[in-house]
Amino acid sequence: MSDTWQVYGETLRSRLLLGTAGYPSPLILEQAVAASEAQVLTVSLRRQAPETRGGDSFWQHIRRMGKQLLPNTAGCHSATEAIALARMSRELFQTHWIKLEVTGDDYNLQPDPFQLLEAATTLSKEGFAVFPYCTDDLVLCRRLVDAGCQVLMPWGAPIGTGQGLLNPYALQTLVKRLPGVPLIVDAGLGTPSHAAQALELGMSAVLLNTAVARAGDPVRMAQAFRLAVAAGRLAHLAGAMPKRLSAEPSTPVPGTPFWHEQGYGGNR
Amino acid sequence: MHVGIGGAGLVGRLLAWRLLRAGHAVSLFDQDQGNGQQAAGFIAAAMLAPYSEAASVGSEILEPGLKAIRLWARWLEELRDDSGRQVPWQRRGTLVVAHQADQVELHWFRQRLLVLGASASGAVRWLDRTALRQQEPALDAFDAAVHLPREACLDNRALFAALAVAIDRLGGRWRVGERITHVEAQRIVTEAGTHHVDMALDCRGFGAKAQLEGLRGVRGEILWLRAPEVQLSRPVRLLHPRYQIYLAPRPQQRYVIGATELESESLAPVTVRSHLELLSALYTLHPGFAEAQVLEARSHCRPAFMNNLPQIALAPGVMRVNGLYRHGYLLGPLLVQSALALLRGEPALAPVSVVQERKVPSAMSAAQERTVPTAIGLM
Repeated sequence: MSDTWQVYGETLRSRLLLGTAGYPSPLILEQAVAASEAQVLTVSLRRQAPETRGGDSFWQHIRRMGKQLLPNTAGCHSATEAIALARMSRELFQTHWIKLEVTGDDYNLQPDPFQLLEAATTLSKEGFAVFPYCTDDLVLCRRLVDAGCQVLMPWGAPIGTGQGLLNPYALQTLVKRLPGVPLIVDAGLGTPSHAAQALELGMSAVLLNTAVARAGDPVRMAQAFRLAVAAGRLAHLAGAMPKRLSAEPSTPVPGTPFWHEQGYGGNR
Repeated sequence: MHVGIGGAGLVGRLLAWRLLRAGHAVSLFDQDQGNGQQAAGFIAAAMLAPYSEAASVGSEILEPGLKAIRLWARWLEELRDDSGRQVPWQRRGTLVVAHQADQVELHWFRQRLLVLGASASGAVRWLDRTALRQQEPALDAFDAAVHLPREACLDNRALFAALAVAIDRLGGRWRVGERITHVEAQRIVTEAGTHHVDMALDCRGFGAKAQLEGLRGVRGEILWLRAPEVQLSRPVRLLHPRYQIYLAPRPQQRYVIGATELESESLAPVTVRSHLELLSALYTLHPGFAEAQVLEARSHCRPAFMNNLPQIALAPGVMRVNGLYRHGYLLGPLLVQSALALLRGEPALAPVSVVQERKVPSAMSAAQERTVPTAIGLM
């Protein structure tokens, strides 16, 4: 089966992108990455003293895993800050891919849509492949696409909350209204069933970090997410049956007059 | 046997002291003036918190950590005999708290401890508001806490000083104020020259990075405060989705507040953001911290291997003892015991791993290896 997807010219098999922060050790991170079969790893640099290459040892460890790296601008609060960091990350990681995060609210780590759009516009013009971490607002998402983003990363719930898809309706709207734009649910997923649900809805992929890193056994949880993502994707391709209000026996029950069924007022 | 120790931080000092007690001649080399000011162990909080740490990094350090606390009890008595100094330490346990909005963190923490099998025989106690007030009246802002009565904490600076006195009294030789450039088989090379020994121990922590494959630094930032308005008798951990801090009391109303943990090898001074995070979280623990004085803000790199567990690398005539990560005091005694065991030809203790050092393909070390007898098992 060759169910692949494309983003910025890359063809990817895996629909699970993994973050690299907060694992019990780099060794467990490496094992979790292997178990997840992720092809894209996000990496943060804001607080690692990037100007003096402070994070080099850790970054080299991540580089040795041989995955496509997606550096992020986590920890930035303005477009200016995020743009500067994106430029620095292009030098450091030799990739024009950037996961653009601009925080608008510190407690929720909620993206600032205005600063985000501004930074996305500038960075796209500079040739960056921008992966914007955004809310699930349709109009914002459209504007980001207009600004040059070829992929969108709407949240499922605020970062690190593990709440799952708080607004499946909004996500489904994005799937329907922005056909041809790969959508990656980023942030807020807590359990594999959340990831399966996202793929069932027709999202292209999910991005996780905390749900794996802070699990009791991150390696096992990475595997669980890999399976859930595969299951959700298969379900989407298979096409789910419609929901009905009442049970419908899959085999006919001979000898049961229909008025005996609930709802027809018959005696039971 | 004449043992040369490169690096007089926590591990170097402990090893020197134990080797002197076992009757060996010891020379201790350090870039400092012997006070340990530049060692990671000097600025640490020195908490002996096997339960708290196992909850976040894994069960493999729980039993070793408990064993180390028992070892500290014995060692601190022996150190008092050797140095005439009593190192303050307390065994009243740790209190773990979270604010009302973050109660889920506290439950998660407790759940992790139960999964680790740590619930047995009173090692993990849930305190309600009344019980918490009785234990620690100053933690008035909290409705509940997890009490880990078997955890402990020691005064690391007093320990550094007592070890220095003991090493002096037992006849150890200090070579201070010389930056160490290499620790090789049977020799320690400083800026001032090469010193020949029977066995060289490399205890430089993050300073050994250039010579130790797989070692990295994990930046930590820590504050030392004096807070006369706050009376806390034991270490406290504040759980928060992002800004986790701990606080360890020291004599004279001092507190050590830590620590950030960044995958960075920058040794630059503490950043504003880290100050803000540590101090904002601290202020929510007790309003009396508002008038506390910030005595020191220090940063350092914890030496760590990829599994974040300690490791000893062996080669004839040299042993590299490193990788204590954020568990210098929790696992330090076991690392030291492991090094001593290896010198006697016995196996190391869990969770310390032992690797044979790969040969450095330099003409000098090749020549060295031909002339040096196997040092392992010399003792």
